[in-house]
Order: sequence, then structure tokens, then C-alpha cells
Amino acid sequence: MNISDPPKNLLRLFRWFCHPDLRPFVEGDLIEIFQHHVKTKGKRKANWLFAKEVGKLVRPSLIKNLEGFKRLNNYGMFKNYLKTSIRSLKNNLLFSTINVFGLGISMSVGILMILLLTELNSFDQFHEKKESLYRITSSSKIHEMELALSTASHFIGEQLANQVTGVDEVLIMRPGISTNLELRGGPISLTGYYATQNFFDVFSFQLLEGNPNTALVEPNSIVLTQTLANKIFPNVNPIGKALVLESDGGWQQRTIQGKVTGVVEDPPTNSHLQFESLVSLSTYDQPAEGNGWNPSFRTNQKAFQQSFVYVVLNEDTQPVAIEEAMADIMADYNQKEENPIIHGIQPLDEFVTSDKYINRSGASFSKKRISIMLGLTAIVLLSACFNYTNLSLARALRRAKEVGVRKVNGASRLHLLLQFMIEATLLSLISFTVGVGLFFVIRPGFLALPNPAANGFSMFELDIAPIHLLYFLFFAIMIGILAGILPAIFLSKLKAGTVFNDASKIKLFSGLSLRRILIVFQFALSIGLIMCAFLINKQYQFALNYDPGYETENIFNISIHGDYIDLLETEYKKLPAVVATAKASTVLGYGSGEMGMAHSEDKSHTGMALINAIDENYLTMHGFELIAGNYFEQPLSEGQEPDQVILNKSFLSLLQMGSPQEAIGKHIFFRNARFRVIGVVEDFITYSLNLSFSNAFGFVQHATEGIYEARNLGVEIHTDDLLTTIGDLEGIYRKLDPLHPFDGSFHTDAIAKSYESEKTTFTIISFLAFLAISISTLGLLGMAVFTTETRMKEISIRKVLGAGIANLTMLLSRSFIIMIGIAAILSIPSTKYIVDEIILNEFLYRANFNIADLLSGLFVVFLFSLLIIGWQIRQAAIQNPSDLLRDE
Amino acid sequence: MGKYQLGEFEEIVLLTVGVLHGDAYGVSIKFSMEERLKRSVSVGALQSALKRLEQKGYVTSRAGEVTNDRGGRPKRYFELTTEGKRAIEYAREIRNQLYNEIPKMVMDINIKKS
Repeated sequence: MNISDPPKNLLRLFRWFCHPDLRPFVEGDLIEIFQHHVKTKGKRKANWLFAKEVGKLVRPSLIKNLEGFKRLNNYGMFKNYLKTSIRSLKNNLLFSTINVFGLGISMSVGILMILLLTELNSFDQFHEKKESLYRITSSSKIHEMELALSTASHFIGEQLANQVTGVDEVLIMRPGISTNLELRGGPISLTGYYATQNFFDVFSFQLLEGNPNTALVEPNSIVLTQTLANKIFPNVNPIGKALVLESDGGWQQRTIQGKVTGVVEDPPTNSHLQFESLVSLSTYDQPAEGNGWNPSFRTNQKAFQQSFVYVVLNEDTQPVAIEEAMADIMADYNQKEENPIIHGIQPLDEFVTSDKYINRSGASFSKKRISIMLGLTAIVLLSACFNYTNLSLARALRRAKEVGVRKVNGASRLHLLLQFMIEATLLSLISFTVGVGLFFVIRPGFLALPNPAANGFSMFELDIAPIHLLYFLFFAIMIGILAGILPAIFLSKLKAGTVFNDASKIKLFSGLSLRRILIVFQFALSIGLIMCAFLINKQYQFALNYDPGYETENIFNISIHGDYIDLLETEYKKLPAVVATAKASTVLGYGSGEMGMAHSEDKSHTGMALINAIDENYLTMHGFELIAGNYFEQPLSEGQEPDQVILNKSFLSLLQMGSPQEAIGKHIFFRNARFRVIGVVEDFITYSLNLSFSNAFGFVQHATEGIYEARNLGVEIHTDDLLTTIGDLEGIYRKLDPLHPFDGSFHTDAIAKSYESEKTTFTIISFLAFLAISISTLGLLGMAVFTTETRMKEISIRKVLGAGIANLTMLLSRSFIIMIGIAAILSIPSTKYIVDEIILNEFLYRANFNIADLLSGLFVVFLFSLLIIGWQIRQAAIQNPSDLLRDE
Repeated sequence: MGKYQLGEFEEIVLLTVGVLHGDAYGVSIKFSMEERLKRSVSVGALQSALKRLEQKGYVTSRAGEVTNDRGGRPKRYFELTTEGKRAIEYAREIRNQLYNEIPKMVMDINIKKS
């Protein structure tokens, strides 16, 4: 017989891809055909035909299945792991639920952080010139106070534009546009900036109507945002329309007889600069009739608090070079002056995240805040991961047999590692869906948190974009790996022989001490966070209820925006509910006051003091008690400057004026004006509980205009029908001032509002404390269930031998109680330290924390643990021992 | 065709299995078909058709004896099942019916033309 073999490689290829059921038969057929062809058509032709046949055999019905054959790919293995994982999660429904919820809760916070971070990173990224955009900053001293501002002088801006090379554009902006407009839909208020004509070259805000090159050239040109343009000029083209704006804040008052030259898109939420209108800076060159305009604003080097200066640098220019150039420009001035001014340069990506400078032109969210929030999130997430690790390790004994069987069947350690990691990742993905759901529950609450110090969280939108889904997936998988790595390493290390021979030996390895450390960590965390929440709340309540040294109850304060205060007072006095009224320049106690330098008569002593200009009823209405001297008696006449002052005791000690009685009749200087002391009052909270510029405080009489003008009317109300009374107050106000919205609030409410920052901190910490306690409670529940389940027989035997429930409780809870004790010892002192030194650092007046406050966290955790353990022990104790022991 | 799903190629394979009664295995079916149809039939097409027929229950197979030729590989013999026979008959009936219903005229013209 003439046996010639078909090409070996082709045959091998065929054997590799062919379905094993068909392989021998088809191979036989192929060989037979090949031999036939060799005989009839020759070897070469036969080889060719053979190749063709093999090629045509590659079809779905004939090649081998994708699953089950590791050599093709690992699909089958993964499928099996997935199946085992699902079964194992299902079989331990309690543990899975605990883990899913624990992880889900913490993940919702994680999702929030991911969104917060990505949104923070997106700030100002839409500006085309973002790489070369900088802001000029200023550092100096005023009245002994270090100042670091994100503003600069107009002077330095012009110098940079004209004298320094490497600067492409200089944009100078001034705050101050602040107008109330009466529209058909009701009054609206409007804010904005003066800006130089290159505004649209520097920033990439899109001008929808008008010419970006000329819109801000002419004086009195106004550019409105789209929303505002639609409100003010509905259904008409606003270009060329006349509009009157007030410039109220920002160093000067003026009325702008403006013309609309452009409509700009609304600044997106993720822009640090938020505005509603822009007015050409050339408007500012025209003399203004109101207060505060100074023609030297262009050349005054000291005016570094007034303007925002943005620069676009040439690509080749180093920021340091610009700083040096500015130091050269300021050199002359700095040599002459006592307090030098140093200008710095700040890149665009630090506009929002830097907390070094005050006077910001927009939203801020400091790096410090981010890291604190990230830290807390990481702690909560870790805590939930520990739950998984703990429970998995505790259950390791039950999985040991499975591991043994797999090893005997040839699974390598890597395979087992992978299997347990997949199980953890699967769980993490399930938890993630729970987390997303919870995130949508907590998002509105988070966004609504008030926080005036950092513009609130309203600077964020926290919308989920497609790209976030990728981050989320990555995040969920990372959490899965983090949670699963320890159990996976431990379980894959088990030896098949040990598992089958003597299962009791495994216990030695089961990571008992590691588990204990993890549990102690969780307890410590819960105790610490709960305690934190208690302490902050106590301080918050303390601040709210703190006696400031004067009456604030029932006093309603109204801001005044014109010269109608006397008229308003007369009208209000006619109301039956109004008991007393008093005028003042500022409202005490929540962060406002006129500050100035005070000197003693011979100028031997000086210091910073706050002052309030009041009328003769003010001190009596607020219940200030005189230690010496008299109250003010007669109001000042038109145009008269105040020349009498009532001081508090701190003022006396500041200027070393002796006892209150001695001080009467002496003179002091405040802002270089001379005052005679006519009375002395006790010390009181001058500014706020968490901030103090000076405890020295003086009252002078209010004048009809100037800095001592009364801008606030306080009304003491005694009534049962508050709503009607306040409605009456507003109605009278509306008649006298139709333009400005009624801005009034109770003194106590206003003080409460000034502690909103603390309230926000309290809310966040309480929420995290709640999460931490939920997670560790879930973990504890799991551990308690496991302990009682594995010790069921022991419990039964003990019961048979006469142990009571009390004994059993002691037995089972002892180890938990010891761990809680260790956790408390670790966490209470460190939490106390953190609260004292970091969180409440700003408060000058602290609440006293007693032992009950310090033990609050421990108490709550202890209570929860006892409840859970007690419940489990009851479950075990009510079982009939004979049911459990009968089998053996 | 509702009851018996049978493609054209499948039908020919099924018929050939019947023709080669007792001696129907891969190579013999292939050569027999090539001879009658005057075109080449690939092993792949044939095997996948046989697999489908077997799944539909029209043929059964058994492994044959191992011989020294064919590289020591066994043959796989195919045989019609009752269901397979019914399928053939059904297909034939449908065809005959259709054939008979063609108007005489059409056939005449066609025949003349060819």
C-alpha cells in the first residue's frame, strides 16, 4: 500500500480546532480522501486539496465549543467562578446582605467624592487660554494684620501691560455692580463687574450678541448674561437698549446711564468667575457723584484690594519672571513704606482650590477641605471593606473543604486567588448599585448644605456623565480587590491535606489577631465619629445659647438703603406690636462692625477697636447696663459729627484708662477724631464667638451721613401674631422703598446663621458617624451571628450542665466588650485632641466638655453591641438543647 | 414544509444516505454526491449538514470498525431513521404536488424552449 501522509501542520491545526466528538471520524475521512487524491491527482494537488478541505471545515457547527477548554481561553473558568460566587453569596444570604449594605452605604459617599473631585477638576477648564492664564495676588499688612489677597491694584495691572515683556494680555476687573431693578415679574437684584475691553480675549465666555472686540470699549457699555437679558428685555433684541445700573459696593457709588452692547452666555457652574453683568471699565474713569470715587485709582499702588488682575502670559514666559518684574516695579514704593506690598502670580488651576488668599472672585473649595473629606471617605470605605474581610475570614472554615477539592482537582494557588477575588468583586459590583441608589438619596441634602465660608456646595452640580461610569466601574473593582485580597490570600494558602485530615488545625491560621485588629479599628472609628458629632453639636448649641452680654430676644433688624430711616421709625412706632425701636450703623454679634485705630489722649497707647454708631434708645433696648457715666440723651443735629463715646471695659484696659469711674470725662481718638468718654459698659461678645478682631468696643451717636450713618433699624416686637406683624413691617417698608427688597431678620436667627459653617461640619460628621456606626453594627451583627452559630453545641452543652442566660451572655460578649474597651481607650483621647485642636480651633469661647460628652460615643457603640449580642444570645438560649445534641 | 424542515443540500445528503444504505460514511457520501451532482462537495459542508440532520433526528450514526488504512481512524456510518424517511417522502410529495399543479402550457413552452 502506498501510504503517504497529509501535511502534518495542517493536520495539527485541524485537530486543534475540530470538535472532539467529530475529530477521529472526520480525520479518517480527510486522510482517505487525501490518499485517494494522491493516487488520482498526484501529491502536490492532493496537498492543495487537503488544505482547502481543512479550511472549509472551520465552521461554527464543527469547531469545538468555547467553554470548558482552558487551552482556548479562560471563559469557562470564569463562568464557573461566577457561578460558584453567586451560589456562595446566595447560600450565605445574611452575610451577603450585610456586606452589600455596608459596602453600598460607604460607596454612596465614594461616588459623591468621585463626582466632587471630577467636578472640581473641571473648574475653568473651558477657557482656551487656561495654560497661560494667571491671576495677580497681593500680600501686605494693614493694621498689624497679615493680608493675602487675590486682588491687586489697577496700577500693577497697567504696569504689567505697558512695562513688562512676555505678558500678552492684562485684564483688569473691578467688583461693585449691584443693582435692584423693578421688573414686571417683581424686583430682581443684579451683580457684576467692571472689566477692560479684552475680557472676551482672555476668557472664553461666548458672546451671543454683539461684537466681542468692541462690546466693552465705550464708557457705559453693558454686557448682560443671557438669562438676565431675557428677564429684562423679554422678546426683544436687547442690543442698543438703555439700562440704568447702580454701582453700590466696591469702593464707590455711582449711577450708570448705560447702553446694552452685548449678550453673553451664562457662566457655567464650573467657572470660578460668576457674574450677571459686565460694564466697561472706561465707565469708571468718569467722575462719579456718589461716595468713594477716587480719581487716583489708576496710579494708587496701595489700592491692591480693589481690582482683579488676570494676565495671559506669553508661552515662553516663566511666572517667576513676572513676579520679579512686579517686585522691581514696587521696589521704590516698598522702600518708602512701612508695610511693603508683594505681588504674586497664581495659575488658573489654583483659583478654586487655594485657600491662601481672601477676596476671591468666585467659588472656592480648598485643598485642605478636599483632603479632610477624602480622608473621612477613605475611613468609611475601609471600614466597610474590613467587614467583608472579617466575615470572609470568619467563614473560611466552611470554604476550606471547597478549596481542598479544587486543589485536588488541579487548581493552582493563582486560580483560587482569582476565584475569591472574583467573588469579592462581584459583591462589590452589587453593592455599587445599592450605593448609586443611596447616592441619589443623599445628593440633594449634600448640595443644600449651607456653608457661607466657601460659597456653599451650590458651586457643584454633581451630575453623572458617561465618563463617570468608567470611573465608577474602576472604583467598584478596586474596592472589591481591596476587600477580597486578604481572605483570598488566606484561603488560597490552605493545603488540601490539612483540610481533609484535621479541620481543627485550620483555626490556628484563621487570622484571629488580624480580625481582632480590624474590629477594634471599626469600633474606634465609630466611637470617635459619634463623639465628634456630640462635641461639635454641643459647641454649636453653646454658641447659639451663649449670652452675648445684651438682649437679642424679639428684636427684628431691618437693613436701610436710603435716607428714610426716621420716617420708617415713626411709622413703625404706630404699630401696637412694636415696643421699642433703635437705629444703629451695624448689627452686633454676627460678624460685622466698623473697625479702626484707637489712641489714648496723649497717644501713648493705641490699639484696634470696633465701633457702632447708635441712637439714644439702642443701649436700653438691648439691655446694656452702665457701670459708670450716662447714656446718650439728645440726637445729633443735621450734619453734626459725633463727639461722645461709651466704651466697654476692654476698651479701657486697651488704652490703660484706669477704672470706669476714672475714665469718665477723659478723651480718646478713634480714626483720628476726638471723643469724650461719657459712659462705660460691661464687656460683651463684640464680633462673634469664633472670630475676634478686638474685644474693645465703643458706641458713638449716629450721624445723618458718612461712616456713622445709621443703616439698620432694630424693632423690638411683642406679639402673638408674628406673621401679621412682620407683614405690616414689610408693607410700610415697601411704601417707603419700593426698589430694595425687604431685608429683615430676627437678631437670634441672624446669629444662628453666622454659625452655619459649624452646622455644616456637624451635619457632615454626624452623617459619617451614622454611616460608620451602621457599617460597624452590620459587621458586629455578622460576627455575633457567626460566633453563636459555631458555638451552638457548646452553648447547648453548657445549658444542659446548668448555665443560665446571664452566664452565656458573659461568655459570648466578653471578647467583644474587651475589644470595645480597647477601641475606646484608643479613640477617645485622639478624638478629643482632633476636636479641640482642629475642628473647633476657631472658637474663642468653648463649651466645657464633661465626662458624659466624652463617653457618648462609647456609650452608643456599647448599647448597639449589647443589643445585637443580646439578641443573638437569646436566639441561642431559647433553642432546646436536645434538638442540637441529639444527633451525636 | 412546516413539519419537516429540510434544506436543498440537506435533502440531497439525506437521499444519498438512503441510496448508500449500510455503507454511508463521510467519504462514500461525498464521492457519491460529487458523481451525481457533478460538483465538488467539501468535507466541512457535508459534516455540518450531517450534524444538522442528526440533530433534527433524520439520521443516526454509529462508529465503525478501526481499519489500518485511513491512518487508523474509525469510520462513522450514517443511517436513515423513520423520521428521516418520512421527511424524504414528505419533501417528495410536496414537489410532486407542485409539479402537477403547474399549468400544462407553461411546461410545454419551457420544454420547447430548451
